[in-house]
Amino acid sequence: MRNLWRILALPALALHGQEAAEGFATRIQPVLVKECQGCHGGSMALSKLDLRTRESMLLGGSRGPAVIPGNAADSLLLRVLEARDGLQMPPGDASKRLPAETIASIRTWINAGAPWTGTTNSNWGHYKPEDLWAIRPLPPQDKSKTVDSFLQSGSMADRRTLIRRVSIDLTGLPPTLSEIEAFVNDRSPQAWAKVVERLLASPRYGERWARHWLDVVRYADTAGYSNDFERPNAWRYRDYVVRAFNQDKPYDQFIREQIAGDELYPGNAEALIATGFLRMGPWEHTAMSVEAVTRQMFLDDVTHSTAATFLGLTLGCARCHDHKFDPLPTKDYYRMQAIFAVTEFVRPPAPFLPSENTSGLAAGKTHMRDVAAQAKRRMDELGAGNKQRENPDLFEEFKLYQKHTALYKESLDRFEPKAFAVSSGPIDGATDGGPNLRYPKAANYKPAQVHVLPGGNIQSPAETVKPGVLSLLERYGSYPSPAVPETTSGRRSALANWIADARNPLTARVMVNRMWQYHFGKGIAEDANNFGKMGKKPSNPELLDWLAGGFMENSWSIKSVHRSILLSNAYQSASLPPRRVEAEVLRDSILAVTGELSLDTGGPGTYPQINDDVARQAQHRMGSLAPAYRASPAKRDRNRRTIYTFQQRSLIDPMVEVFNGPSLDLSCERRDSSTVPTQAFTLFNGQFVHDMALALAAKLGAQSPKAQIRSVFERVLGRVPDAPEEATALASLRRLTRLHSGTPPTRPVQTPVVHTITSELTGAQHQFVHQEDPATFEHNLHPSETTPAVRALADVILALLNSNEFAYVY
Amino acid sequence: MRIATPSRRDLLFGGGMGLGSIALSAMMSAQGPHHKARAKNCIFLLMEGGPSHIDTFDPKPRLGSLHMTKFQKERNKFEANMNTGERYYVKSPFQFRRAGKMGIEINTLFESFREVVDDVCFYRGLRAESVNHPTALYHLNTGNQFGGDPALGAWISYGLGTVNKNLPSFVVLPDTAYPQGGAANWSNGFLPAIHQGTPLRSTGSPVLDMRPPAGVTADEQRVTLDLLHSLNARHQQRHPDHAELAARIESYELAFRMQAEMPRVLDLRSEKPETLAMYGIGGTNQDADAIGRRCLLARRLVEAGVRFVQVIVMGWDSHDFIENAHGARIRAIDKPISALLGDLKRTGLLDETIVVWGGEFGRSPDNGIRGGGEAWGRDHNAAAMTCWLAGGGVKTGSIVGATDETGLKGVEAVHPIRDFHVTLLHLLGLDDAKLRYFHAGREKQLSQTGGELIRELLV
Repeated sequence: MRNLWRILALPALALHGQEAAEGFATRIQPVLVKECQGCHGGSMALSKLDLRTRESMLLGGSRGPAVIPGNAADSLLLRVLEARDGLQMPPGDASKRLPAETIASIRTWINAGAPWTGTTNSNWGHYKPEDLWAIRPLPPQDKSKTVDSFLQSGSMADRRTLIRRVSIDLTGLPPTLSEIEAFVNDRSPQAWAKVVERLLASPRYGERWARHWLDVVRYADTAGYSNDFERPNAWRYRDYVVRAFNQDKPYDQFIREQIAGDELYPGNAEALIATGFLRMGPWEHTAMSVEAVTRQMFLDDVTHSTAATFLGLTLGCARCHDHKFDPLPTKDYYRMQAIFAVTEFVRPPAPFLPSENTSGLAAGKTHMRDVAAQAKRRMDELGAGNKQRENPDLFEEFKLYQKHTALYKESLDRFEPKAFAVSSGPIDGATDGGPNLRYPKAANYKPAQVHVLPGGNIQSPAETVKPGVLSLLERYGSYPSPAVPETTSGRRSALANWIADARNPLTARVMVNRMWQYHFGKGIAEDANNFGKMGKKPSNPELLDWLAGGFMENSWSIKSVHRSILLSNAYQSASLPPRRVEAEVLRDSILAVTGELSLDTGGPGTYPQINDDVARQAQHRMGSLAPAYRASPAKRDRNRRTIYTFQQRSLIDPMVEVFNGPSLDLSCERRDSSTVPTQAFTLFNGQFVHDMALALAAKLGAQSPKAQIRSVFERVLGRVPDAPEEATALASLRRLTRLHSGTPPTRPVQTPVVHTITSELTGAQHQFVHQEDPATFEHNLHPSETTPAVRALADVILALLNSNEFAYVY
Repeated sequence: MRIATPSRRDLLFGGGMGLGSIALSAMMSAQGPHHKARAKNCIFLLMEGGPSHIDTFDPKPRLGSLHMTKFQKERNKFEANMNTGERYYVKSPFQFRRAGKMGIEINTLFESFREVVDDVCFYRGLRAESVNHPTALYHLNTGNQFGGDPALGAWISYGLGTVNKNLPSFVVLPDTAYPQGGAANWSNGFLPAIHQGTPLRSTGSPVLDMRPPAGVTADEQRVTLDLLHSLNARHQQRHPDHAELAARIESYELAFRMQAEMPRVLDLRSEKPETLAMYGIGGTNQDADAIGRRCLLARRLVEAGVRFVQVIVMGWDSHDFIENAHGARIRAIDKPISALLGDLKRTGLLDETIVVWGGEFGRSPDNGIRGGGEAWGRDHNAAAMTCWLAGGGVKTGSIVGATDETGLKGVEAVHPIRDFHVTLLHLLGLDDAKLRYFHAGREKQLSQTGGELIRELLV
């Protein structure tokens, strides 16, 4: 009989193995746990039937096997579920039967061979050594070697290529002409090392590398979903990351602060701000969501993201069933989750640090208070719900200002010395997470019991688990697991210390691999967030280990890893593939070469000039609309580096989005750089690029045409044009000057932003006119304020800003 | 040395197929079809907010006698705050009448739609999993409640590739405001960016920055573009081995072909006046006019080779005054959706196009006491809803599935969203189990972990 099953079941398994197994984990096992195992499992095995494992299910009880794989029709389990032969399970009248779709899923599963993906360490011990490469202990670093001991590299790139490559890699900005010339003409043997050190010491370095980290952790200034409420103090986390890179904060400390800064460094505002990491995922709780579900959503998110960020493990798979490829049993998942079970959302006081930019806070607060007060006043004037029937227009307007008032109330906190943080157990008065969330009082707080949830289903909890770290490193990596306390405080400290330990080989391997990827476009192991079996194997494991070993021996200095990589011949090779620069590098470079970049750092996010249609687009917020997008009135705020712009989950700058910006919801381990036609629209037609080109043209306008062309090439491409380029550009400039000789249209009068909403009460449409830009708005230069020659030169600049040479780094 | 400058004709009208087009074509190559398709396009009419099945296509006369009697529901910790407190049954304020040969009872406000019900398969068994708008919308649109995954249209674009390479293969026609959850509802997720939904805006430029800023003339643009191409050609000479540079040059050409083609597709002036009137365009109902334009545009886009068009109609979240609110919505969509079906049928496109109508969840038969008991409305209900399908391969003129006597729960042919997705892909010749993409350590698919075909919906 067993052989017959095999024959019947195998083809189905081959086709639908993964699906059926996952279907079991997510849909069937929760039902077995909830509906069956109470009577048919463990000590209570009625009819001697135990439905807890596949083996015992096939063995069956006093009535014979419960399941015949591949043959649902004859399986006892299905017969009793359908009450076919007078025996019904669960027992009782017809109303007790399982829903038809559940029975249908069980039928499909049995017909597919009843594959079992359990939560009971079923795969334990079946791993090939080569799939466990990342969790093997690291060998000590051989100090006699360098990166070049592991790689063959060909000829060196020329110096112009090199300085552009390293400047963009380390600072996200192209080198200036004088920087290029200085390097090209520096005959000292230390010339390259000097450039590397200069760039590593630049404040621009931290801005560039913080962006990589923010990609991985999904940094945003808002919470996402229906209301997309502001996370008003999140900007302090962003600035913390910039500082950490600039100060070369030891990576082990960087980890400890982000996972357990509040516990390990009590009273330290910097470390408290760092714990914002744990709350970076999108999250919302409303009257329409279920508290237990939103809490679980956070717990799953933080468990998964902590493992992916620091350990390169895809722990999310183990939420529903034992990881099919890696030694990550479901029990480990929930043990790690139990570490976070006492983690509560707080926004406690945290004094501003001398290193934080607080210069704009007072003015910003005054302005936002005014805006918020206006909305509140309007809301109060309009009064409450009794207008619903007689005047739906007024009621919609009331709802609009009510919504704006709620949104501003959150936003106003961005100017306050508070941290977007967590605590172990609640802190009365500092709790955070919205009006609909109920908090326990600190005095009678009891840590929640954590259960294994087969299929990730909170409605069918199985065994309880105690907090603990992942067991794979003890088992396969010779790194003993520490005890994790069950007390409210100390769980995350234990986790942080376990990750940030020289004996944890994943931690250093994952980070140096990320760094290699950002320098070369491709990691040594290509899937930066997945060091398990399904991730690509490292192309050069010895090199990865050598880098990881050196990282730890140099006190986890990130800059030391940069030096190892950048000073190698491999990095200076002529044969690196070209990479299209990321969205932020493109925008920042356009601002930089046109002389418009503001180097202000830190503080609450600013609002850049974005596509006007998108800026004017109405955005739904639960029950009403968001206030209109407003670009920052001052150029120095609008033209900041992209990392300092307000990151709103529901409104990503379309220019960043079209050039493959990160989604802000999923961890972005590596940017896509696909080429799509809409990128051409953005860069060739977009107002922002036209404005910046005009700004540069106006700065260069007084020179001769030939000198203008030369300056433009120097500024934008960092070189002089060759003769054919110069001739073509000059010819274009002449033609364009003629074409521009007419009178350009005057600056259009800004029309007010009008938003329309469909009333949920009447189905009718209501329009709102938003306030216009303040008189203080500092406009960009407009063509009507310039000469034909300047306008023509702006077009030449536009062509250069669109060129492949500007968009690629070699 | 002479710089090779592509001619203007080449640039604007896409002369030679360079390396670039090869690179781009490779990116767009289709994964499917996996089996014989019943249709090759899909128009998804998304009713955002959760239309009430009870007040549209699934009347519940029993609620008439239960009206304002107390509603008993088990309270457990998996209940949202919204559903707490004293609750009462609420009858539908609408009249219902049989329509078509099939004889389905529908709201009498559907004056035009009642004429086309025999081309429609009504499905009363679909079940959502979330009663929260953004998560339920993400679920319906992407298969995952938590956002960030590729949308249905992105998967279809990935699976079937593009027909007209001058147009995007996945187009979204949003309402006046973006829906809750925003652009993540039409995200390409982890699929290549070319599969992202392109929202066409009803005001301003339909595609962002498709036109240069005001005052830039075509002549000026042409000179600038020629200069750009000569610079790129010169650069290419220095880096002859890199195909992606050529792909980027090609993308500018593609952009300008799109710039030429898109306005032709979007220009409704070539339509006959009676066609416009049929869609409710130019009539007295302004909402119907706006929705009619989006529906007509959907037909034109599908005609031009767009694979998946999503038309979004907002405003179905009628917690209060459902008579006004749903009444106005129904009057606004009645002509446009009926005209769309009729028009597709007339042109023969209906055989190869699936039209779907539905929202992120249904509504409850009960309500809390709001507005002194006069403001009847309905709350969210994930356990029961109605959607409908029309077009190729669909069992038209039938009702599939059923809800219980109050409309609280689906009881027949009940299927989760993932099965609905599997079924839509199936009609388009795609097998969810094969349409996969490796991301973050596993093969991912629209249904997440597999689903079943809803055979009852198919011919």
